[in-house]
Amino acid sequence: MRRVARHAAAAIAALAGIAGALSGAAWGWGVLAAGLGALLLHHLLHLSRLARWLEAPAAGKVPEGTGSWSEVLTALHRYERAASAREAALADALVRFRRAAQALPDGVVILDAENRIEWCNTTAEMHLQLDGRADHGQPLANLVREPRFVAYLAAGEDAPPVRIERSAGRALILQLIPYGRQQKLLLSRDTTQAERVETMRRDFVANVSHELRTPLTVLLGFLETVRELDLDAQRRRDYLDMMREQSSRMQRIIDDLLTLSVLESAPPPAAERVPVRPLLERLLADARALSGERHEVSLDGSSTLDLAGSEHELLGAFGNLVSNAIRYTPPGGKVQLLWRESAAGASFAVQDSGAGIAAEHIPRLTERFYRIDRSRSRDTGGTGLGLAIVKHTLARHQGTLEIDSRPGAGSRCTARFPAQRTLPAGPGLDATPPAASPPPPPATSRPGGRS
Amino acid sequence: MTDHASKQYDLDLGSIRARVLQMGGLVESQIRRAIDALGSGDIALIDQVIADDHRVNGMEVALDGDCSQLIVKRQPAASDLRMIFAIAKTVTDLERIGDEAQKMARMAKSIHQRGAAQAPPTVDVRHAAELAISMLRRALDAFARLDCDSAAQVIRDDAGIDSEFRAILRQLITYMMEDPRTITTALEIVWIAKAIERIGDHAKNMCEYVIYIVKGTDVRHTRL
Repeated sequence: MRRVARHAAAAIAALAGIAGALSGAAWGWGVLAAGLGALLLHHLLHLSRLARWLEAPAAGKVPEGTGSWSEVLTALHRYERAASAREAALADALVRFRRAAQALPDGVVILDAENRIEWCNTTAEMHLQLDGRADHGQPLANLVREPRFVAYLAAGEDAPPVRIERSAGRALILQLIPYGRQQKLLLSRDTTQAERVETMRRDFVANVSHELRTPLTVLLGFLETVRELDLDAQRRRDYLDMMREQSSRMQRIIDDLLTLSVLESAPPPAAERVPVRPLLERLLADARALSGERHEVSLDGSSTLDLAGSEHELLGAFGNLVSNAIRYTPPGGKVQLLWRESAAGASFAVQDSGAGIAAEHIPRLTERFYRIDRSRSRDTGGTGLGLAIVKHTLARHQGTLEIDSRPGAGSRCTARFPAQRTLPAGPGLDATPPAASPPPPPATSRPGGRS
Repeated sequence: MTDHASKQYDLDLGSIRARVLQMGGLVESQIRRAIDALGSGDIALIDQVIADDHRVNGMEVALDGDCSQLIVKRQPAASDLRMIFAIAKTVTDLERIGDEAQKMARMAKSIHQRGAAQAPPTVDVRHAAELAISMLRRALDAFARLDCDSAAQVIRDDAGIDSEFRAILRQLITYMMEDPRTITTALEIVWIAKAIERIGDHAKNMCEYVIYIVKGTDVRHTRL
């Protein structure tokens, strides 16, 4: 570069010297001035272009130049290109980092030394009702104003994480983690669900204890009576009967609890063929036996499909639905077993004409030990676990339980199975007709079982 | 905020705003605890709400002093002056909300101490309280963000609380007519409902100040 400048100066001086020698000193000075003026103009022009570019340096738009400027500007261009490549790499790293933070299941807020919001992910926006863009630079305590949290923010990272409720019933755990130069990371975790599960677990333990203690108290009371008092044979037998009844109640609760725990922990059942027609016949016979002529029990729907799953489990689940319907339908009422098939799958339902269930209870019916009316269901011998067992069994067969009911209009419990759980009825079906009913003459159409 | 030659000035104003918002957070938690205690009958919690009102009052006094000091020291103009005026008024409204929360706690205490067997249900009161808390929260958010649009939305939402209040009143009147033994408790619930309705009004006022700060127009007693 210096060389170019020196060459230009030497050329102007040489020209001026030649002009001076040929046409006199005045001409020589004139040419020198003109040459220097042209050089100055050239520099000023490039300087102003460079200044204009520096005002808003656009990547890849460094002005080009001639003469001594070409070298300078080329070097600047190279430097600019390297700088923007570095910047792009940094921006890329930042984007990748933010994407990673964005993907975290917890809320993340980055705070500066003054606890102002620098950045937050969408989970944090949702948890704390922030707006990552608009709230940039806003002190976090201005927006998350819970006194407990403000105190935590002031106390620094040594304090234990704080729990706040942003809106009714939604719990958040907030934790500050310091990093880098006085920067802080705030993590927010929604613990609503975890707390709900914890409450359910506590309720369950309390319920089990209560359910087992009640018959046990009765049992102990009678034991004392029988031991202390001199009773006649009839009273004694009555008391012993009641004791046996309470013991078998405890037995049933424990059996159901074991069934539930097996259903929860065992691997999914093998998909063996469960012939539906004999299953329905057996359920109908059981229902009649349980009802003892007190209800009008019928079966509607014929099966052309079988189910794939565990016969033992399905019989238990369906049997639960049937015995519920019989138990909660007053004498003289109707209980109908329904089998339906469609392209989407198959369903087994029990429709009764009982008292019905109010809407607020329906979602909670499958909770363990949930009782609509504490006295009533125990009188009828329920353990409070039946529908929980049904729900678990169906879930193991990719099925669902639907309960439709209105007070005074009876209830319908439907077990629905998807198409992949059904099989065309097997050939073995006609060979072994159920003993309870006479063998049907045609293989496919049966009169809906109504008798 | 506008650029100031003095950084200290900015810091002072920012710290006053932050403390107003903290006072708002305290007041909000007072309402929530009062309404929770009304539901659960937790007398210890009620006493704590009543006792904590002095903290709200203390914050009001301190903030008022700081506002006067800032006016004297810095002689703010234009938007800063509007901001300080609005802060002083917001603080007054927040202090009143604190009083209303304390009133709710007092009523809850007397309802639960009487242990009235045939107390009218307080579910609707709870719902109205949730509305009021949400209005207050959004008013404070609008103040923190100087967000006119959401402030205007809160002002419009005040009608919702007013109609809740009238519905609660009608319901309580039927209870009182059916069973005169419920009158004492029902009247106390009316006081609580009235306090909630007032909280909505104060939140609305705060939003009007936000619009005043940002736009310099006074929207009080006008229809948005």
